[in-house]
Amino acid sequence: MRGGRADGRTGGRWLAVAGTALLLAAACGRRDRVVVGAKNFTESDLLAEIVAQQIERRTHLPVERRLHLGGTFVCHEAITSGRIALYVEYTGTAYTAVLKRPPPPIAGAESVYATVVRDYAQRFGLVWGKPFGFDNTFAITVRRRDAERYGLRRISDLARVAPRWKAGFGYEFLERADGFRGLARAYGLAFAAPPTAMDLGLTYRALADGNVDVIAGNSTDGQIEALDLVALEDDRHYFPPYQAAPVMRAGLLRLHPAIGPALDELAGKISDADMRRLNAEADVRHRDIATLARDWLHAALP
Amino acid sequence: MNLVQFYAEHSGEVLGLIGQHLYLVAISTSVAIAVGLPVGIALTRRPRWRGPVLGLANVVQTIPSLALFGFLIPLPLIGGIGARTAVVALVLYGLLPIVRNTYTGITGVDPAVREAGRGMGMTDRQLLLMVDLPLALGVILAGVRIATVVNVGTATIAAAIGAGGLGVYIFRGVAMVNDALILAGALPAALMALAADGLLGLAERRLAWRPK
Repeated sequence: MRGGRADGRTGGRWLAVAGTALLLAAACGRRDRVVVGAKNFTESDLLAEIVAQQIERRTHLPVERRLHLGGTFVCHEAITSGRIALYVEYTGTAYTAVLKRPPPPIAGAESVYATVVRDYAQRFGLVWGKPFGFDNTFAITVRRRDAERYGLRRISDLARVAPRWKAGFGYEFLERADGFRGLARAYGLAFAAPPTAMDLGLTYRALADGNVDVIAGNSTDGQIEALDLVALEDDRHYFPPYQAAPVMRAGLLRLHPAIGPALDELAGKISDADMRRLNAEADVRHRDIATLARDWLHAALP
Repeated sequence: MNLVQFYAEHSGEVLGLIGQHLYLVAISTSVAIAVGLPVGIALTRRPRWRGPVLGLANVVQTIPSLALFGFLIPLPLIGGIGARTAVVALVLYGLLPIVRNTYTGITGVDPAVREAGRGMGMTDRQLLLMVDLPLALGVILAGVRIATVVNVGTATIAAAIGAGGLGVYIFRGVAMVNDALILAGALPAALMALAADGLLGLAERRLAWRPK
């Protein structure tokens, strides 16, 4: 009986020692582990995977992936608090949604980029890498047969049918400064009912199934073509430019200077068409994003 | 943002979402009772079915709610995006406690009491309506109470598939990293669960048969 209790105590002590050792190992391991995050949609996961593999290839640092974390604000919170060191953001999103600046006047992509680079460094101590090349704006999307029947080509055409239509959006788009409310104001859209809020990934399905009549997708999404949908032209230039680029903690580049040049190699390398094809492979053909990222990297940057 | 101020500014929206939430829970719990009660009674008459039926209901209960919503979306008629799919999922979740408690309640009735009823010349139907169900009512209501309280909570997740309800605030709050918004949805949902628990507990105590 007593022996049993003593055993139990030694066991407990061993457990404590082992636990402490594990924690220390984890803490040590984390120092040179680069944590890459992503937002909760396919393109963000894909870009994070490309960035992660590029860092692994060029610097041989261990990279931890925290993909599909949540929306813009969840990722922003994660990077400013140090839970992740890097993720891919879009300039327009940073400009209007994070920095809460009023929409830029029909601005060049460069001036938006310059502003976010400056403000992110000053306010958050975050560094923007060079843009990858493509622009992923919100695509106000309808079914092709509706577009043909009602003659819809531009978002301003939507005002005519809106009072009879239902809209469905992800939670972030409903709240963002560059989201639904501003869009409705800019184009005078008055829908029959308040838009249905749902998980972002379900909006395409809701549109294709006829549950809603208009959604806000991404211009680089593969489903637009696959589901026979049409993206309407933003004729009043409501949306700012959304260039994708990596955002990093300044400390990451100080600790691992090799990461900067590794990511610079990606600058301007991903075209709109490339991104659309990659997204379609992942979303429509359900191919593994890690494999897609590897194949793309080998082809584009041998 | 202050919660009181938020409610004051969005009172119409809040009431609308509370209404949607109540609708989801009320419809799904009613259907679960309408289906679960007869199934539970049938099981007491056909004990061979007990294992498979309760087993199936148990399995449904173990499916994470978000996954169940996901599975239902592609199905014709009962699926799709919106409140209908959510109601179907909530019915499935509500069935197990109701079926199980109906079965347990009726099988727990003292055989001597049933014998006495039988001796007085009661038919099967009379035995069920005048002996089994009244004596099992407390246990059955406990099952309804569990189903309702669980569904108030699960219905918040239905906002992910466009079913509305108080989950809308929770999802918006999570997307915006805004604690006040999360609380704006979570608080009324919690109060609703407590109220449902209290009311059904009261009904249970009032209606349940107790030896005098």
